[in-house]
This record gives sequence, structure tokens and C-alpha cells, in this order.
Amino acid sequence: MADNNKYNAGVKEYRETYWMPEYTPKDTDILAVFKITPQDGVPREEVAAAVAAESSTGTWTTVWTDLLTDLDYYKGRAYAIEDVPGDDTCFFAFIAYPIDLFEEGSMVNVLTSLVGNVFGFKALRALRLEDIRFPIAYVMTCNGPPQGIQVERDIMNKYGRPLLGCTIKPKLGLSAKNYGRACYEGLRGGLDFTKDDENVNSQPFMRWRHRFDFVMEAIHKAEAETGERKGHYLNVTAPTSDEMMRRAEYAKEIGAPIIMHDYLTGGLSANTQLAQWCQNNGMLLHIHRAMHAVLDRNPHHGIHFRVLAKVLRLSGGDHLHSGTVVGKLEGDRDATLGWIDIMRDSYIKEDRSRGIFFDQDWGAMPGVLPVASGGIHVWHMPALVNIFGDDSVLQFGGGTLGHPWGNAAGAAANRVAVEACVEARNTGRELEVEGKDILTAAAKHSPELKMAMETWKEIKFEFDTVDKLDVAHK
Amino acid sequence: MNKPNTYVGINNDLNGGMTTIGKIIRDAWVFELIPETETCEGWNLAGVDALLQRLNSEWDKYGCLVSHLPEPLRERHDRIHGAAMIRARESGWCGEHETEDEK
Repeated sequence: MADNNKYNAGVKEYRETYWMPEYTPKDTDILAVFKITPQDGVPREEVAAAVAAESSTGTWTTVWTDLLTDLDYYKGRAYAIEDVPGDDTCFFAFIAYPIDLFEEGSMVNVLTSLVGNVFGFKALRALRLEDIRFPIAYVMTCNGPPQGIQVERDIMNKYGRPLLGCTIKPKLGLSAKNYGRACYEGLRGGLDFTKDDENVNSQPFMRWRHRFDFVMEAIHKAEAETGERKGHYLNVTAPTSDEMMRRAEYAKEIGAPIIMHDYLTGGLSANTQLAQWCQNNGMLLHIHRAMHAVLDRNPHHGIHFRVLAKVLRLSGGDHLHSGTVVGKLEGDRDATLGWIDIMRDSYIKEDRSRGIFFDQDWGAMPGVLPVASGGIHVWHMPALVNIFGDDSVLQFGGGTLGHPWGNAAGAAANRVAVEACVEARNTGRELEVEGKDILTAAAKHSPELKMAMETWKEIKFEFDTVDKLDVAHK
Repeated sequence: MNKPNTYVGINNDLNGGMTTIGKIIRDAWVFELIPETETCEGWNLAGVDALLQRLNSEWDKYGCLVSHLPEPLRERHDRIHGAAMIRARESGWCGEHETEDEK
């Protein structure tokens, strides 16, 4: 710090206490990797140590004496730093936190420390939490997904293919009754689920109870006519957790199999409460990630989505929107596949080519179904089935409701397309190579699919990917 | 911008009539709930909503699917919706309009 007049950490430099390159992380430590963009002139080791301090016990030492807490036990330890490939303005810092620094089963407590005041620290120009390793000892203290993938398949009685969904948009003049009708048409046409828009809660134009009643009528009618189980993600997100629970209880009372929550805007305390209630009451929980881009879009500042995905899996949710890999909102393919693994698999190996910094052992905690949605339609089906596999929800919004023949036709087109792709895959055909032939053959028996293919055939997606892996930068 | 109190009519609608109300009107033509000369210009929302309820009852007979329609209705559907598709494309509509507001 001798040559730097812009920043002064205090009488004692952080690295004397919090920079420990000789430290070997314990199996029980929570590990984090931050991408740090320091202020000019601040040494890497000092700023990494500062992040370790300010995200653990850094402020405690100025308030309490070492006699009250054992600093050496509870402190975070910056144990390694690495270059960011292709970007000299920042570096990766690896920090280990003792498990006892955090309350058991509390994503709120973990995030309050790791992405709390430290993000406003003066020595930093920008800070991004890239990944976390939750030790199995901590995973075991969390509730996790209410039901998990296999139980969801049993509840819905649907096996061997991706599930199909569609968001019903609150278009002008769409009363609760007409909204329910749109749900019915989608479900009758072949969808497994319809979905409330994330910003539909209980506004004056459509109060929640009215919506729930008409949607359940739609589900019962579609189930009776198709012989299949159907669901609609009833959004129970509310201004207070008490009100959220009131809506959840009513959804259960009228027989809904699944409800929905906006986990970031609703908050993690509410989400964990709701997930635990769902587990105890046999309900499925769909999670929307509204607000995630505020946190994860800037490549130098915020929280990477793979962290938000891990946090959701621990807080609890059976579905989570994951991005599509293909389509208008295309994300980096390798990075997306990385966090899809994080959602579904029980053990994920470190794989920098997918942006995964740590091994992650989930033990017996169930997986979360990734939900692919946003700007996708039937022509994307072969790639979606190939990339996401069976354990996923493919959610076509405009790609269903935008069908020129209406909602049921859009739903039927997607159902025929997904079943054709699964059948072709199961007989060994290459979906992304033979996709056009597979869909064309299926369309001979489905005028709804034929029309969908004509409707969307000219679409090209040429947007650049925003969320690139660091190895791809520059 | 002043909002019209009544529907502009399918011939004056956005995207060459490839809209939610446009689809209702075309299907009402298919099921002969209204004559094909009726564009619904000047109708208020209640009138369109009442037409929608009658239309839903018709679609319920066939599971809401074109592929379930009997041949005469299927032919009418193909003719009416085929012409609408051409008209919509000529007005600049394409499938991408249906997904462009998705996030």
C-alpha cells in the first residue's frame, strides 16, 4: 500500500489476517470464487483478503474483541487467485468460509454475508460472485426441492419426454373467465402445463381468487377430455408471506397440483417457507427468476446465474427458468449446460469449459427441472429435445398462442413435434441433423403442426450472446 | 393517444387481422355464427365477448382442434384461414411478431 494514496485499508492490512495461500480448504468449508475488479494500485492479494474479510468477520473485529469470538476459526480465508482468461482488468479470488459462520438451511444468511456490504467496498471497482461450493454437510441442512423430478413425474403421470408448458399472457380484455378458457385450450391441445405470467399476482384487472377458480375449472375440463393430468402454475407471489401462504392454501384446497413463486422478487425467506409447505402438502413448486438479469447480466459485477441456481435448489423449487440455448434469448451453450447440470444432477464435477469452478455434491437432494422459455417455437424442438433431454419443461409462449389457428392448435403442434422428436431420438436418429425431416413427416398427420411450421419457417435469430464464458471474452 | 371505444373491424385491424379478435371473427365465420361480410366494425367489447362465448361452445364440440373438424367445416376453415394468412403476410406480419415480446 506504500505507493497508493487512493486507498488505505486501515492500521492493519487485510492480507496479514485473511490472505492464506497455504490454506487447504476443508470438506466442510463453503467455498466461493469472486471475480474482482480492484481499484487502481491495490495489490491482488490485499483486495482478495479484503473481500474475504468483509464477507465474513471483517466488521466484527472492529466491534467485538477477539476474546468474544474466535476470529481464526470464523474468518473467511482467501486461499488462491487466478487470472481471468482474456481480461486483465480483473482476477478470480477463491475464498473458504467455515461452515459454522452460517445458520443451517439459510440461503438468506449465506447471501447476506457473501454478497452483502462487501459489494460496496471502496477498494473494489466491481465484484461478481461466480460460483459457490456448498459442502454436503451444509446441503443436508437445507430443505431443497419440495418434490423433485421423479416425484413430479409420478404426480403428473408423465414419463419419457420433456414436459410442455405455455405462459398465458394477460392480454387486453382477458378477464379471469377468458384467461381460464385460454388455459383450457392450451391444455386440451396437448400441453401439460399452462402458466401465470410472472407479473400476474392479484391486480385489479384480475384478482387471484377469481383467476384460480376459472383456471381450475379449465384444468378439470381438460383432464376429463384428454384423460391426462394437467396443471397450471398458479402464481402465489404476494406482498406478504402471510398472503402468499393464504393463496397457496387455497390452491391446494381447490385441487391444484402446482403453484408458482417469483423467488428473487418475493425473497428467499418467503421462498424457503413456501417450498417447505409444498413438501409437506404434496404440491409442486414452479419458480420464476424475474430480476435475475439485474444480478447476473453484468460480466464484472453481481451474482452469476449458476450461483442463483444453486441457491434456488437449496431454498426449494421443482422448476426453474434456465434460458434456452436456442431461440431469440439464446445464451452461451456451454455455460447454460453447466447450470442445467447444477439444477438436475446429484454430483457435478469442476468443469471450467462450462463455467463450473468446484465439484458440487448434492447428496440425495432431488433435482430441479430446467424450464426453457422465451422466443422458441416448433422449429427449435429438435435442438431443445437434444440439448435438454427428457427432464425439462419446454415452454412455448408466443410459439403456442401465436399460432394463426389459435391456442389449441399451437399446443397440438408442439405436442406432436415433441413426441415425434422423442420417438426419432429413441430410434437412434440425429435430431439436430434430421430435424426438418422428422417434423415434416409428423406434420403429414397434423395440420396444426404443418401450419406452425409454415408460420415460423422464416425466423432467423441473429442476436449476440450476452452471457459468455470468460474464456470466450476478447 | 385516444383509445377507440369500439372495434375497428377485422379489415382495419393490426397485422392484417392476425390478432386475438381477428382469430375470433374468422372462426365465427367458419362456424357461420356471423356472415363472412361481417367485419365487426363498431362492435363494443361486450359484443365481441358474447361472440367468443358462442364460439367456444362450437369449438368444444370438436375438442378445439382443426384436425377434429368434419370435412365441410374443415374446408371452410382452410379457405378462410388460408386467405387470412396471405393477407397478414402481405401486411408485413410474420411469426416473429408472436414471440418478439417474450423475455
